[in-house]
Amino acid sequence: MLVLTRKPGERLMIGDNIVLTVVEVKGDNIRIGIDAPREVKVYRGEIYDAIVAENRQAALATDLTGLDKLKAVDVKKTI
Amino acid sequence: MLVQSTRFGELDIEEDQVLEFPYGMPGFAEEKKYVFMEYQPESPFYFLQSVTDANLAFLMIDPFKFFNDYEFAMDDTLLAEIGLSDENPPLVFNIATIKDTLATMTVNLAAPVLVNSRDRKAVQLVIEKTEFPLRYPLFPAVEGGK
Repeated sequence: MLVLTRKPGERLMIGDNIVLTVVEVKGDNIRIGIDAPREVKVYRGEIYDAIVAENRQAALATDLTGLDKLKAVDVKKTI
Repeated sequence: MLVQSTRFGELDIEEDQVLEFPYGMPGFAEEKKYVFMEYQPESPFYFLQSVTDANLAFLMIDPFKFFNDYEFAMDDTLLAEIGLSDENPPLVFNIATIKDTLATMTVNLAAPVLVNSRDRKAVQLVIEKTEFPLRYPLFPAVEGGK
């Protein structure tokens, strides 16, 4: 991993079209501005990781025997 | 076209049963095409079967058949990228996770799958701020639902 030191107001270029700007440092919190092409998705790391983990768990097990019971599942509105 | 599936056997499907995920899904970025299947007619359950990985399949639900007030904000830019708009609104699905039994299955309400049924494109939306959890028990009346 490349580690760089920057000051508020300074920028990092990632490739030709992604710019990270250190906006403000306040105690533990660092505000970062991100300019990137819209096809580049930007997510908070822990949120993205949680969804990756959940998707991996959700990939169906090979054993589908129990799924036949879905026929009997009542559809309920619960929220 | 023929699609190999560990769970469903060999599937002979029409091109219009294939959904393209231009960005893949988190954790499966390289898998961009899935067969979309209803579990049964009128069922609230659906399957996604990867076109290229016979082992990869997901179970999904139609949330509006289970929940009265599930809602989330959608980014217009992202919607436009897969051809969705006010005139062509998305179909919404949530991926289910089955750990032990069907009774304790949970659904991922924090990252719904949005489908453009007209153009056969889809995206899994990552919602950064939502009151709806990653693991919501689908059948909360059952003990041990977490």
